[in-house]
Amino acid sequence: MNKPSENANNQPEITGLLVQMAEAGVTRAAAGLAGMLGQKVTVTQPNVRLMPLAEVPGVLGGPEQEAVGIYLQAVGELSGQIMLILPLAKAMELVDLLLDVEPGSTQALGSLERSALAEVGNITGTFFLNAVAAACGLHSRPSPPAVMVDMVGAILDIIVAMSAGVSETVLVIEAAFLRDDREVEAHFWVIPDNAALQGLAGAAGSNAR
Amino acid sequence: MPDSSVPVGLGEIKVSRDPEVVLVAYGLGSCVGVGAYDPVARVAGMLHAVLPERTNGTDPLSGKFVDSGIRALLKALEQLGATRHQLIIRIAGGANMLQAPGFKQTFNIGDRNVSATRATLATLGLPIRAEAVGGQTGRTVRLMAASGRMTVRVLGAGEIEL
Repeated sequence: MNKPSENANNQPEITGLLVQMAEAGVTRAAAGLAGMLGQKVTVTQPNVRLMPLAEVPGVLGGPEQEAVGIYLQAVGELSGQIMLILPLAKAMELVDLLLDVEPGSTQALGSLERSALAEVGNITGTFFLNAVAAACGLHSRPSPPAVMVDMVGAILDIIVAMSAGVSETVLVIEAAFLRDDREVEAHFWVIPDNAALQGLAGAAGSNAR
Repeated sequence: MPDSSVPVGLGEIKVSRDPEVVLVAYGLGSCVGVGAYDPVARVAGMLHAVLPERTNGTDPLSGKFVDSGIRALLKALEQLGATRHQLIIRIAGGANMLQAPGFKQTFNIGDRNVSATRATLATLGLPIRAEAVGGQTGRTVRLMAASGRMTVRVLGAGEIEL
């Protein structure tokens, strides 16, 4: 029973591996953030699931909701897109935490605040991809991050336009970063492309053997 | 104002002759929204297209692509009694959301969507009455079936008539 499948398209097996990697990746990302802040940052047990792209705006308060997107591409043996997206108010809380100022201090996202958020993308992206490499041996690196502030729908258009016809489902990681008594929730959306999924499937197969 | 908003999602086409209906495409980024209204038949329609050109093997009337989507929109409007050459056509969207270096090449999808929209409409001999396209910001567009008014909303700015 449960004999490892040789089928490269075995979906549940890929999902299981993705979930496992996502959990490891988020935990490592928190460690990376702690290094950046010089303080202990922990991450709550991440909730990982696959979700149709069309349902994503609803989770974030609707397509017209103002949000911040931090976008990276994975380049290498595993290619795909990584989007860290959070409502504007949450992004400002995260900036307060990163810049170590009183909660509520950040009222707008200028260039300093945007680079702090870009750094979050950098660190989480790098640590996430490292976790993937550790889990399945596929090495890739993140592109420099791009930070944008706009409507949720408009931000997600980037993913939609790049993955149209390839990935209709995205891997969603919900996690909260905690530092002392402060907590900031964030959503990550990881969209592996088709070739990457095939590679992961292969890796899932060989790991199971 | 008694109206019922009908969302036009990614790759969708919606048409209506119900005067209470307001067709809405929320948060258009690189996507293009095409609004068409026949003031005589009082029929409204909207397309929310994602990519410029239809790829081989996809539905020839797919709303996901600008070229096939516009044709499908016209067909749906005509089925509700609209006459092609009475249509008032306005377009919105096609922003370039990513401005970071290294991404620009990949992300001119907004521009390409706008070009494809203009080209397809030109081929069909349909003029564009008004447009709010390009730039770097997302837009929400509304088309009121009762009056044919079309509005565009951008974050941090009010709603403007198109």
